[in-house]
Amino acid sequence: MAFEFKLPELGENIEQADIVKVLVKVGDSVEVDQILLEIETDKATVEVPAEKSGTVKSVNAKDGDTVKVGSVIFTFDEENGTESIQETPKEEPKLEVVEPKAEVKKEENKQNEEQQSGGIIEFKLPELGENIESADVTKVLVKADDKVEKDQVLLEIETDKATVEVPAEFSGVVKEVKIKEGEKAKVGSVVLVIESGKSTAKQETTIEKPAKTVESVKEEKITTPKPDVTKQLVTPNESVDVARKKSFATKIAPAAPTVRRFAREIGVDINEVSGSGPAGRISIDDVKKFAKSFNEKLRSGGAGMPIGIKREALPDFSKWGKINKEPMSNVRKKTAEHLSYAWATIPHVTQFDKADITDIENLRKQFAKKAEVAGGKLTVTAILLKVIAAALKVFPQFNASVDMDNKEIIFKNYFNIGVAVDTEKGLIVPVIKDVDKKNILQLSAELAEISTKARDKKITLEDLQGGCFSISNLGGIGGTAFTPIVNSPEVAILGVSRGSFEQVYKNGEFVPRMMLPLSLSYDHRIIDGADAARFIRWVVNALEQPFLLTLEG
Amino acid sequence: MSSKSQLVVVGAGPGGYAAAFLAADMGMEVTLIDKRENPGGTCLYVGCIPSKAYLHVAKLLNEAKEAHNWGVDFGEPKIDIDKMRAFKEKVVAQNTGGTGQLVKQRKINYIQGTATFINSNTVKVEKVDGGTEEVSFEHSILATGSVPAYIPGLSIDSPLVMDSTGALELENIPNRLLVIGGGVIGMELGSVYAALGSKVTVVELMPSLLPGADKDLVNTFQKSIEPKFEKILLKTKVAKLEDAGKVLKVKLEGEGLEETELEFDKALISIGRSPVTKNLGLENTKVKLTERGFVEVNEKCQTDDPKIYAIGDIIKGPMLAHKASAEGKVAVEAIAGHKVAFEPAAIPGVVYTDPEVAWVGLTETEAKEKGIKVEVARFPWAASGRARTMDRSDGITKLILEPETERVLGVGIVGPGAGELIAEGTLAIEMAATAKDVALTIHAHPTLSETVMETAEVFFGQATHLYRPKRK
Repeated sequence: MAFEFKLPELGENIEQADIVKVLVKVGDSVEVDQILLEIETDKATVEVPAEKSGTVKSVNAKDGDTVKVGSVIFTFDEENGTESIQETPKEEPKLEVVEPKAEVKKEENKQNEEQQSGGIIEFKLPELGENIESADVTKVLVKADDKVEKDQVLLEIETDKATVEVPAEFSGVVKEVKIKEGEKAKVGSVVLVIESGKSTAKQETTIEKPAKTVESVKEEKITTPKPDVTKQLVTPNESVDVARKKSFATKIAPAAPTVRRFAREIGVDINEVSGSGPAGRISIDDVKKFAKSFNEKLRSGGAGMPIGIKREALPDFSKWGKINKEPMSNVRKKTAEHLSYAWATIPHVTQFDKADITDIENLRKQFAKKAEVAGGKLTVTAILLKVIAAALKVFPQFNASVDMDNKEIIFKNYFNIGVAVDTEKGLIVPVIKDVDKKNILQLSAELAEISTKARDKKITLEDLQGGCFSISNLGGIGGTAFTPIVNSPEVAILGVSRGSFEQVYKNGEFVPRMMLPLSLSYDHRIIDGADAARFIRWVVNALEQPFLLTLEG
Repeated sequence: MSSKSQLVVVGAGPGGYAAAFLAADMGMEVTLIDKRENPGGTCLYVGCIPSKAYLHVAKLLNEAKEAHNWGVDFGEPKIDIDKMRAFKEKVVAQNTGGTGQLVKQRKINYIQGTATFINSNTVKVEKVDGGTEEVSFEHSILATGSVPAYIPGLSIDSPLVMDSTGALELENIPNRLLVIGGGVIGMELGSVYAALGSKVTVVELMPSLLPGADKDLVNTFQKSIEPKFEKILLKTKVAKLEDAGKVLKVKLEGEGLEETELEFDKALISIGRSPVTKNLGLENTKVKLTERGFVEVNEKCQTDDPKIYAIGDIIKGPMLAHKASAEGKVAVEAIAGHKVAFEPAAIPGVVYTDPEVAWVGLTETEAKEKGIKVEVARFPWAASGRARTMDRSDGITKLILEPETERVLGVGIVGPGAGELIAEGTLAIEMAATAKDVALTIHAHPTLSETVMETAEVFFGQATHLYRPKRK
């Protein structure tokens, strides 16, 4: 029997809502309380749970739509669990080979025995880093029945920060692919089902409904010959439990009546506030803090907008000619947000200077072979890494971060330097760790390796984190100077432009010298102009007199 | 005659009068309409208050009987039901007289009569002393309460069949009393008649008494009260009820009944209450009713007619006086433009029998139904010094806790005084207290309230007065 799912009442005076995300699609089976939609009203973002279980028959709205309260968003077929199993044997003669196996598997599971054939293992999207909850699947590199080896790359995914390859944690045979290219996958959601080759493989310990796993495996086998019909679950089973738990938790927030009343008075949904007390108890201060951060977000007009500035509406460009639109990649979105934030919050000053690198250029050419043997290329950037690491030791305020909330300056006693790399997907800044502990040859090799990794989209999140200072070298392209933006929460960045021969008055005559233009942008909140001038002078001197590196650095 | 009022409150029960009083205190011009002489409604006139007066007497009778175990023999009690009724009436008169005074002190326009809505901003009042009056309003609060549910076939027109109001009249002490419905009202009034000497048989359709309360509480309660009753028949239905002149002929249906045809001298029908929403002229407003006759409201207790609010037994939720009062205050604040909502974390429920049963917040049963993971800690009153001094070990205190946070989600108590003890649990839930908070709060010794603290200690595996071998 079919039934309709209408957008429920959302509260007083709320007649419509914007759909942020539709979390189910046609063919999905949905359980009571499973979150179907994420919507946004003027007041809050709300998760809309299912009231009944069933199979999604149609979806009448998509992300970004504005829908009225009471309008039909989904139609469902009431669940009939056993049907699909009974039908299956008739479907395709091809199945004969796999079918008995599935039957055996079912028996095994029923008896709860772990046989020598190994287990069905749900492969979940692993943790990708702090604050990363989901990722776009850009490539699925395996299909059902593929054999996979441990460490073989199964998926390519893109997070806000980077493209990441996800390797297999064990070898086995892919039984089911639960995700498609272009879909979003949540961390912890089941993306593949793999039958492991070895009985010692890690078993999913919390298989609550073993029969169900078998069922889905079976279903997959049936649908494999016709991949276009394959409709898989986006939301894994456990998300249902999470949702249910959440829905209870949201019912009574751990806050005293006065706190709840206060939140309501200032228009804060108490359920969105996280408490700082025992058992997550919410205090009035927690509510205030939440309201403050919410207001700041609101005032900044959303992602990437500087505080206090509202986004201006864009004109209709197509009035003046042909246009085409393209969604921003995650890397682009993140870059836009991050740089807007840095630009808006850091009072930037850029100090320019030039270094005479004639001598060091000669040395560089002289030792180029050595670097090649070591697997790298002896570049100006590699040398600059070493110079900057030394400079950071001399000028510790350049190896710092600003904590305005606590009115503190955080000094770092390690020397990790980011190097901006131009990739197909846009700018990314891999970080070379412990530069001070490596020689220039090692740095050349590492720089070559990490740049290749970045361009080949093999960079890991770890490669992108933990920087203290950044270098952006545009010299390969050209230019005489530029004003780089500080890579917040760092406090300074060195821009490098193209070196060229210039007339330099030296020892009573004009001589041609190779001059390298340097641009040092810095955070004026904690770095004074004079210090910045001293810093860049030190860098220039070190490039001209490499002895300084060992003398002072 | 017609007049104007900022706020008209229809119905002066504990919901309506609490709302009217708050509104007056906030400076609104208030008209309060009720058919009774003074505010009080069912609660004060024919509900909570008079039944508690009788239950007080019943408890005394029971204790007097028990007293021979403690070396005191009072002999057979002499019961003067006229005097007992007079005591109840005095209690009611004092309470309702009090609310009447409060109406005058607050300068509330109290009209004794029955109101019907003419439209969304006017009511017409048929006054008890004759005449009608139209009162137009800026806002109105509907607080018409509930009446005993009428069941066709059972609610027969016979002097031998009573509802709760009739039972409180205490006309006589029937030899054999049938109580139909083992809920709160049936058990309370059944207890009164049992204490007065009636042989009381309780018939309940559900598999347990006090539907809604946790099984362990009900079991303890039932074990304790069963000797005072003639019979408690669960999963049993009254198929037929017939007035045969001087007696009632009753036919029962159910599992394992010894006899299905019984005779009683009187019957009390206590199978629930129905909201009063008919004949109020609500069809002349935009107020919407559910299929079961309840008024639909939002979280501010506002109906679909934005000027009209509704509170108490006529809207969703338990039919409890304290819930109605709280809603009344929310409605008034909402009318005053404050950002408020009826959003309690917990509403306590109390059965004023002996022993009392009280629970608040999440019950174990509810947790199971909703698939919420909880941990339950129980403390038997046999380990309570205070309970022992009262010769009453027929009690349990239990806490229902959230496993990860150890937050108190629910409290259940059975035992004498449970209704008073539950307040601590309600506060704990509202304040989002954890088991540790409760365990570390010093409770006076020896009191029954200590059991709440010791239950929390049980949760942590170490309670002073209860030894539990260590879990491995």
